[in-house]
Amino acid sequence: MTEIYPIGGGKGGVGKSFIAASLGALIAKWGHNVVVIDLDLGASNLHTLLGMKSPKLGLNHYIDKTVRGLESTAVPTMIPNLFFISSMHCSMEIANLLHAHKLKIISAIQKLPFDYILLDLGTGTNFNTLDFFLTSKEGILVGTPEPTSIENFFRFINAVYFRILKQTLKRSEFHSAVKDAVTEISGATAGTHDILKIVSKYHPDKVTDLKNKLSEFKFKLILNQFRKNMDSTLGNKIETVCNRHFHSNFQFLGTIRYDGQIHDAVFSKTLYVHKYPHTQSSSDLKKIAEKITGNRRPTSLPKEIS
Amino acid sequence: MKYFDGLNYYEILKIPENSSFLEIKQAYRDAVSIYSEDSLVTYSLFSTDEREKILKIIEAAFLTLIDGNQRAAYNRILVDSGQSDTTFISGQSQKKSDPVFHPGKAANDDQLAADATKNIQADEEKQLSDEILSKSSVSGKDLKKLREALGVEIHEIHSLTRISVSVLNAIEENRLESLPPDTYLRNFLKLYAEVLQIDPLKIVDGYFKHIYRVQNTD
Repeated sequence: MTEIYPIGGGKGGVGKSFIAASLGALIAKWGHNVVVIDLDLGASNLHTLLGMKSPKLGLNHYIDKTVRGLESTAVPTMIPNLFFISSMHCSMEIANLLHAHKLKIISAIQKLPFDYILLDLGTGTNFNTLDFFLTSKEGILVGTPEPTSIENFFRFINAVYFRILKQTLKRSEFHSAVKDAVTEISGATAGTHDILKIVSKYHPDKVTDLKNKLSEFKFKLILNQFRKNMDSTLGNKIETVCNRHFHSNFQFLGTIRYDGQIHDAVFSKTLYVHKYPHTQSSSDLKKIAEKITGNRRPTSLPKEIS
Repeated sequence: MKYFDGLNYYEILKIPENSSFLEIKQAYRDAVSIYSEDSLVTYSLFSTDEREKILKIIEAAFLTLIDGNQRAAYNRILVDSGQSDTTFISGQSQKKSDPVFHPGKAANDDQLAADATKNIQADEEKQLSDEILSKSSVSGKDLKKLREALGVEIHEIHSLTRISVSVLNAIEENRLESLPPDTYLRNFLKLYAEVLQIDPLKIVDGYFKHIYRVQNTD
């Protein structure tokens, strides 16, 4: 069965692309078929973190119908079983993505014949980014152990909730007052709570359904760039708080320790986990990858020890 | 945003219903560190009003569960309202003799993973208790160090064990001349160790060895 993991998180520079490339490489090394897709349209750089030059083939060839299936745009990487779909040559910015194109990409992603599909999303809570995040029923949020980044965790969760509610409430059976409220309230603040309140006024019977809708989505959390002397229980605390105070299920996958060599690897355009497999950070990434795959190894291939 | 709707005091502090004094105390400390104003985790999540409400509930949960009588009354309410079965009320006294720091205590991997938070947090305390347990003799100073690391006050040990504060002080300060007769001392040390959830046998043995050493070096 295919598992799709969008990788998001409001803030830029927290390491979303780095984590997408690393997890993709690790899971592929264990024998699974993996594709990482660069959906940071307009600011693509995932290829660099994968240690390769920008491929000629990309998402744009699927949109402009040069190739028939999205599958054909996946190019091999230096790691066997790991494939890559670039969006380097997509002329459009994410904000300008045509609605029809977006839907076409999402439904094509959901049909890709891989074991694991990792989506590297762009910064921010732009509604196109959120829609890509909602391609799956579960997604990974990446942050760093800094106040601004943790704030963004919550902002992103709220924005995802808002997007889910908005999609649901657009439907005709809801009262126009509810629809007006959704249009008025911006997703940035405590929108979810306010919307649920209004819904409970006009459709008290539908509140539970809406909450269930929110709880269907599962969040996984990663803290990157962790340094010594930081509160090592921070991630678990965030998990506890989110599980208590938001409607969904949250799982903390782990922390990745800071390593200056990561920076060097990016500069020398090499795949970090491949070049430095035995560092603390690589071992942190391995543990996270194991949690994602649940230690499942493909049965068809001989076990590889890495 | 959800709050503590429908959760009982044990669930709010995330502890089992048979939690010991020390577990309640640690759970309270954890909760405050998550919900306090300067907490990195929640400072941006709640308004001042919301935070005050949450902290008030946590405080009420702690004050109720830490007090033997109030806890018993609260447990009865839980049972009467059908939120809990009677199994834990019959064995009313809290569990005491389960030393969390017992070295070599078997635990499966799943449990270890689930307890990861606690383990990391209790790392320093565990190191300290392991260090003390590995010693052949245990001094009053060692006991005091561990008690303080666990954030337990002398008067709290007094109210749980009914050992007088002056005797507790004498034990911690190694004032041999003020210690009660051996049979009493043995029992007191056992109770003291149980509150701190550290292996009572080793503490009693270690302390008597310590006394023996001091007496024979004079």
